[in-house]
Amino acid sequence: MVNQELYPKRMQQYHEKFERIIKTINKRFTTYGYKRIKTSAFEQYDLYSKVNSSTDQTEMMKVIDRTGEVLVLRPDVTIPITRELAQNFSRLPSELRYFYVQEVFRQTQDTNTSIESTQAGIEYFCESSPEADAEVIALACHTMKDLGFTDIKIEIGHAAFFSELVQGLPLSLQQINQLKTLIQAKNVVEIGPFLRQFQIDPEVMEAIERIPFLYGNIEDVVKRASKTLLTTNMEKTLDYLLKLHATLKTYGLEQYIIIDLGLINHMGYYSGVIFQGFVEKYGKPVLMGGRYDELGEKFGAVLPAIGFACEIESLVQVTEQREVSAAFPIDVKIVYEEEQLNFAITIANELRERNYTVLSFPIRKEKADLQKTVYEIRLQVGSFSLADQEQVIPFKDLKELLTLLVGLKGGA
Amino acid sequence: MSYLTIAMGKGRTAKQAMNFLEQSGIKFPDFHEKSRKLVFIDSTERVKLIFVKAVDVPTYVENGAADIGIVGKDTIMEDPADVYEMLDLGIGKCKLAVAGFPDKQFTNSAPLTVASKYPAIAKEYFERNGIRTKTIKLNGSVELAPLIGMSDVIVDIVETGTTLKENGLVVLQDIADVSARLIVNKASFATKTNQIQQFILDLRAVLE
Repeated sequence: MVNQELYPKRMQQYHEKFERIIKTINKRFTTYGYKRIKTSAFEQYDLYSKVNSSTDQTEMMKVIDRTGEVLVLRPDVTIPITRELAQNFSRLPSELRYFYVQEVFRQTQDTNTSIESTQAGIEYFCESSPEADAEVIALACHTMKDLGFTDIKIEIGHAAFFSELVQGLPLSLQQINQLKTLIQAKNVVEIGPFLRQFQIDPEVMEAIERIPFLYGNIEDVVKRASKTLLTTNMEKTLDYLLKLHATLKTYGLEQYIIIDLGLINHMGYYSGVIFQGFVEKYGKPVLMGGRYDELGEKFGAVLPAIGFACEIESLVQVTEQREVSAAFPIDVKIVYEEEQLNFAITIANELRERNYTVLSFPIRKEKADLQKTVYEIRLQVGSFSLADQEQVIPFKDLKELLTLLVGLKGGA
Repeated sequence: MSYLTIAMGKGRTAKQAMNFLEQSGIKFPDFHEKSRKLVFIDSTERVKLIFVKAVDVPTYVENGAADIGIVGKDTIMEDPADVYEMLDLGIGKCKLAVAGFPDKQFTNSAPLTVASKYPAIAKEYFERNGIRTKTIKLNGSVELAPLIGMSDVIVDIVETGTTLKENGLVVLQDIADVSARLIVNKASFATKTNQIQQFILDLRAVLE
């Protein structure tokens, strides 16, 4: 039996965390120029038989409409967005940046996991380039840091490396999948014996056997990879990863990055760089993404893109295991003496127009809300001041306050 | 530095695995075979050992409750988990096999009844070989099933074959070799890379 008094409080805390995470993510995605969009809750079942995706069709929730047509409850967001764009453009008109926060529905065999989960993600439709891909990975990293996960590790791989290596091998699709499973499990014990069943060039065999060892920092991985057979395309892939890494270094993210060439196409539609993020003490990836330049072609359009997504419920679960709640402060708190009510409202209105989150209190109720804030404005008769963590600055009127805020924000 | 948590099933392989750990320099002063404790911490306080039911080891590792697990290949095959499988410890060696009466013929006239602790492995094996089957899940004394006519054959692990022999059964077909494997949680490998790689290196040095 749940404690009657504790339950509402715990539920409220859960939802507060949930909302704060979504708010933080929304904000960060917006600062990188992404626009929020929505897709329909119902999708055509047939849409998903066209595309080779990670979503198993047996896991989808099917619904039958009045005409007898089979629909599914949205099992993913990337595919509907791509389809939607493909219906309107045969090729990319300009770069497009979208983000979404929506429920997805999947029923896995594991009965303990909920059918419904909330996905937040971005899709950046653009030509492949190290700068574009690095920016997306930087956004992923930045978002996780906003949420207080300073120990984030992002593993980066590339779909082309493996597919190039197995091209032309005398293996059936089923055997390729078996090999993929072995590589994804870094199963160095069994890869060798598995490959030796077939007639394979010893050099290729050695190269495949080494894939699980191509893990770690970029220099080591490139050094180890260059010891084995490399085709021109594989060299290009490595070169691409080097450039991507150099750009990420400029973003100041070097310490968060791990290269893993054993990270191969687990989604079916990835064609370029692939990445996933992990934080300590949570056994599953907290975010996953990659480049899918060929997905649009399934719908008859050329729509190169890269994207990633994370599941809000798992992020809440991670924050529950640690104290990171302080990472979501509200922007401005205004504390005023009763006589200054009018001025307080004017400031609050003005700041809210400028997208600040503002709370205001008369001095007697100052302690009513203990949420942390970035800035605190105090309005007392004859003295107005703005304070951040470090300093208290007096100001005379609204104009001066706004200049001050812009200055502080720019400096931060 | 945080602990490295290792999950292990209690049983005969545990004893040998403990030897390996000890030789690689990880000692558990509290540990003795009769102990009923389930959690042990090593003398340098870097490694935490937890004893769980063998079939649960992959679950603990997949969910990150343990960073590393030591478990038989048979358990991994029966219920594949999304983990790294990085080392063959070469202990607890046996094989998975189909066993039954010596004169048993595989015909496709009626579905073959198979009793096993490993219904998924059995189903996959016979499907791959084009034999129609009906599987019966049992939790122990699997050899009994053909004797009392509940099943035509069994799929089980065979170590010496003594139990089969004493019950008048023989191995009809081999499915796979089994030994204890070291599995690693994927997130732990990313966040504790050095710690885990060192652990594996030390262990591999002992094995060679």
